[in-house]
Amino acid sequence: MLDISIYQKPFEIFGVNVGFSVVVAWCVIAALIVLLLFVRRAAGRFQEVPHGFQNVIEFAVEGIYDFARSKVGRHADSVAPFALTFIFYIFFTTIIDLFGIPPATEDINCTFALGLCSFIMVNVEALRFKGLKGRIKALAAPVPYALPIRILTDCVAPVSMGIRLFANVFVGGVIMQLVYMVFPLVVPAILASYFNVLHIGIQVFIFAMLSLTFAGEAVEQE
Amino acid sequence: MSAIGIIAIASAIAVLCGAASAIGMGLATSRAVDAIARQPEASGKINTSFTFGLIMMETIAIFALLVAILLIFVLAPTVS
Repeated sequence: MLDISIYQKPFEIFGVNVGFSVVVAWCVIAALIVLLLFVRRAAGRFQEVPHGFQNVIEFAVEGIYDFARSKVGRHADSVAPFALTFIFYIFFTTIIDLFGIPPATEDINCTFALGLCSFIMVNVEALRFKGLKGRIKALAAPVPYALPIRILTDCVAPVSMGIRLFANVFVGGVIMQLVYMVFPLVVPAILASYFNVLHIGIQVFIFAMLSLTFAGEAVEQE
Repeated sequence: MSAIGIIAIASAIAVLCGAASAIGMGLATSRAVDAIARQPEASGKINTSFTFGLIMMETIAIFALLVAILLIFVLAPTVS
């Protein structure tokens, strides 16, 4: 029978249950920090004319800044790093599935936390660039009595983002388990390249794009 | 009717949600292709909003699939 549960797997450290996905996320963060230190050391030797590794880094950073500019407009420079952070974090905590470790984003707590991060980012940016008065005015934009509905829509957005990411990763995993049960050989290898790699990439892109779109809606000028 | 049978019918009804999202995707795609054929120079902007709409519809289908999977694999073992 399949091992399917939406509840967090327990993991105890000194008698305190912190949850298995949290430990996976910590390990991924540690690995990413080590990677980042290497990149930081390499960044000291960057030259005017890029070649090799520097090209990759510049391509990623410029790509996300251009993408953010097309969504958020002129306030994009403070939002773009968030988007790249989301991309890296979600991609690596999910792609770890390929090494046989259950991904951290298969836990609904993790994805809700990510949605909440995005919600806080959007609102802080909105308050920074528009102020409280401007924000309320923008929310009551077409007619004043639309305010409660607009606030509700804004508050539902992180929940929907969290459930979307969770559902996609979870359902991908379940489908792969079912495929493994029916065809133990060859077929899973073909399907896994979609469900475990490409699908994740699409979801990561969607998460970053939705964050940027909501931020763009929140900070847009009248 | 046994509880398992009712759960099976419930998950089938949940997956019906996919039909709605398929209809929505078809409508959106036909309109997007129309718009691109009429104004090929605006295809970039059309593509962006089209993708956004598709994501929303695809999410509904995935939610339905999640509900169906949870009904079968999480609820069904608790009653049997």
